[in-house]
Amino acid sequence: MYPFSAIIGQDRMKMALILNAIDSGIGGVLVRGEKGTAKSTAVRALADLLPEITVVQGCPYSCHPDYRQGICSACHDEEKKPFSRKMRVVNLPLNATEDMVLGGIDFGFAVRTGATRFQPGLLAKANRGILYVDEINLLDDHIVDIILDAASSGENVVEREGISFRHQAQFILVGTMNPEEGELRPQLLDRFGLCVHVNSEVDPEKRVLLMERREHYDADTHGFSSLYRNRNREIAGQIVSAGQSLTEVILPKSLTNFIVELCVQNNVAGHRADIVIARSATAIASYESRSTVTVDDIGRAAELALLHRRREISPPPPKAEEEKRSNPQNEAHEGPDDEQTDREQRQLEAKESAQSGLQESRRSDEQRGREKPSETETVFQIGPSFKVKSIFHNKDRILRRGSGKRSRTRTSQKQGRYVKSTQRRENNDLALDATLRAAAPYQKSRKSIHGLAVTIKGQDIRERIKEKRVGNFLLFLVDASGSMGARGRMIASKGAILSLLLDAYQKRDRVALVSFRKREAFVNLPPTSSVELAAKLLKDMPIGGRTPLSAGLAKSYELLRNHLVKEPSSRPITIIVTDAKANAAFGDANPLQESLKVASAMAQEDRVKFVVVDTEEQGVVRFGLAVKLAGIMGAEYFKIEDLKADALLDVVRISQ
Amino acid sequence: MTHKPPIYPFPAIVGQDKMKLALILNVINPGLSGVLIRGEKGTAKSTAVRALADILPVLQVVKECPFQLPPGEIQSVCVDCMKIECRASTLNGEPSDTVERKVRVVELPVGATEDRVVGTLDLEHALQKGEKRIEPGILAEAHRGILYVDEVNLLDDHVVDVLLDSAAMAVNTVEREGISFTHPARFTLVGTMNPEEGELRPQLLDRFGLCVTIEGIRDSEARVAIMERRVAFDGDPNGFVKKWDDESSKLVEKIQAARVLYPEVNVERSILFEIASYCLKVGVDGHRGDIITLKAAKTLAAYNGRKEVNLDDIETAAELALPHRVRRQPLQEIGIDMKSFTGRSK
Repeated sequence: MYPFSAIIGQDRMKMALILNAIDSGIGGVLVRGEKGTAKSTAVRALADLLPEITVVQGCPYSCHPDYRQGICSACHDEEKKPFSRKMRVVNLPLNATEDMVLGGIDFGFAVRTGATRFQPGLLAKANRGILYVDEINLLDDHIVDIILDAASSGENVVEREGISFRHQAQFILVGTMNPEEGELRPQLLDRFGLCVHVNSEVDPEKRVLLMERREHYDADTHGFSSLYRNRNREIAGQIVSAGQSLTEVILPKSLTNFIVELCVQNNVAGHRADIVIARSATAIASYESRSTVTVDDIGRAAELALLHRRREISPPPPKAEEEKRSNPQNEAHEGPDDEQTDREQRQLEAKESAQSGLQESRRSDEQRGREKPSETETVFQIGPSFKVKSIFHNKDRILRRGSGKRSRTRTSQKQGRYVKSTQRRENNDLALDATLRAAAPYQKSRKSIHGLAVTIKGQDIRERIKEKRVGNFLLFLVDASGSMGARGRMIASKGAILSLLLDAYQKRDRVALVSFRKREAFVNLPPTSSVELAAKLLKDMPIGGRTPLSAGLAKSYELLRNHLVKEPSSRPITIIVTDAKANAAFGDANPLQESLKVASAMAQEDRVKFVVVDTEEQGVVRFGLAVKLAGIMGAEYFKIEDLKADALLDVVRISQ
Repeated sequence: MTHKPPIYPFPAIVGQDKMKLALILNVINPGLSGVLIRGEKGTAKSTAVRALADILPVLQVVKECPFQLPPGEIQSVCVDCMKIECRASTLNGEPSDTVERKVRVVELPVGATEDRVVGTLDLEHALQKGEKRIEPGILAEAHRGILYVDEVNLLDDHVVDVLLDSAAMAVNTVEREGISFTHPARFTLVGTMNPEEGELRPQLLDRFGLCVTIEGIRDSEARVAIMERRVAFDGDPNGFVKKWDDESSKLVEKIQAARVLYPEVNVERSILFEIASYCLKVGVDGHRGDIITLKAAKTLAAYNGRKEVNLDDIETAAELALPHRVRRQPLQEIGIDMKSFTGRSK
């Protein structure tokens, strides 16, 4: 094991881990940041360094010999001697199933004796140890819920599969995540006591030292470890004595007020932050063998406790952005100097096309057909991106495979949440409780084989039906006509699309991109899971010409139909980004009427969910055509501004 | 063994030097944790992997052992193993039947489920017969060999996770359905992907030690050579292989020598600084880049029969170890060569 004291830098992470080792009531650490920054090394090293714990021999719940829970046979057996061992680091893999984490029925026991017995899971194994969850943001949400629940209550309560059981589960929870891969839900974030952000070292000297140590360690593990044994022992001793003197450390009353003030200033929700700061500050003082907490301790504790709880007071920043967006002149000044002239040029062009667009749409539809459209093409930059609201499909009963994080679905894999059992044989995922129940009535008439208590035949076998989230197929239909260039609307639209793409990346969706301008629609990107490619194409997408909305709709329908033939069980989501000011038809009909007709035909396909993102300017003259389009398609309707997910709102909605 | 059709010889592969080098380095030093090959179809990816495995020295394996264990090695998994005859003799320390075989290339199909990969317990059998039966997965099969994952980006995320985890730890732990067993899984991981079909998550990318991007060869002379050799091979495989025997055995000797030399390779401190500043200059996430670059450079020096790492080694190693680790915007593409990064950061 790489020694804890040989880890270079990452002082905050090390501190946060030590504090949790001193006082497990702090509630765990969340480590955010880059990969390859000694996160798991530090956790494993810490466990190695901590003093051994005494447990009842053979107890799967790691009971303390003096406080036996008395739920396993080992604890009832007075003969079993206490013995000491290292603290365990239990690694929770991403593919963990519910039974694995919580525990389930011990099937061997059930078959042999006919009685149900609890088979301890990872939470039992982690009792009095460390539970390490790598990439916790990619874990199934309901598993994260289970873990955090157990972590905060110190107990694992199992009420499923016909068992009702509870056991102690006190552990130090350490989670790691890379924020690029998606965030944790705010209320899950809050459950972590401390949070640190790790970066790699930027000092070449330190990087060299790191490489040297690593090479030394790889070449001569034992020799290397012995070099650091003393320092490790010192830290361990400090941790132990800090833990013992924890109750003697005084937190002055004036400083509690300071903590409260800090929390209020940072606009923290709830009271967990206050408590965590107080506990951590006490632990810091104790670790440094001081008997009173100082202001400095609180500052250091607050750094660790507030990082993930601090919230911006929500109104100002989005408003500022909106103003910028509705005011293209402002936006022009934002660009780098060398691009400024270029951008102003574009703004001018954009304004021209805006005017022509407006005039155009004021004229009657007959005239519009003959009007010479502006054929100039421009490429707009991508506006600021933001976190988008969750868009997902309603769940149905079809089994799907795959990974991802968007829509809930029944799954044929062994992952996900066990919702019920079935007699159908599909996924070889045996539901033990249901199988035993099905076999129970026949036990008298069946002859026992192999001396087993329960005889089970093929017809008794039941399988689990599980539910999980999977990625969807997202089709982006983007209006690239001249009217979109007006007043920087394309910049904002591109920003919105990019935000949706980022969201798609985090939820592991497949994407396709269709755009329409001039007289026809183009498939810019056939279905792929390379969201990168979509983003690149989006950046270079030119704008100009008429709005052949009907052609765009038809083209995307074609793509959707092909996709549904290939994967009949898939549920694509189509996101239409347009102002719906159709002015080019492929037939002789009125372009707008034609588009609406195509749209209503498309809406017949109820496997597809439609979302309309209205890009029309919020001005005096509004046509509201996109609203109409959304109405006909039965689509969800958003203005660009509405797409933004408000963290605060989310909290409210979920906690209700 | 002799009944198998001959395999295209490794040294006869035209071009694709970076890929060949990356594969060789991994064979010398498995600590480099795998190669990711990004690129088009039909660029001799799987040919190279198979060819390399074919020329490697043979292994001693217990006959029909599902975990590919060498004779005399007792693992905890033997206790639960379903091969009863061998189990008894192994646990008693008696000699078991041994066979010699070539290094195996185990392929992981795109549709592979997790059960197949890590192994599982046959629950139905357990319920009806009341006994445990472990079914080893692909990871057990790949122990001491090469695990070749075509289209690694199309695999389910969690399968890739399991793969990379066991590749890094050299152990596979199965913990599900109320059973847990551990068996050794030390293999050279080779993944291929076509970036147009989607990227791997950065976290997973980072776990691959080396990464090469390959393209079809543009030089017409080389293309002609490819065709000529292929035709010659298809016409008379045995003769063709024999013709390249010399080169093959030379390469094997070089690899063997490098394996011996590797622990003795020295790195000067100034060279370490070179690596650190290089990684800082191109903006690499985390420290795995530094460590892998250093290891690759050392392996390279050993491969070239030197005990000292020089600057050229560093440069070559960095080109293999860093492209996929350079910090990018979330939706940015991965660059092809290091020059583009160093150029950009100036």
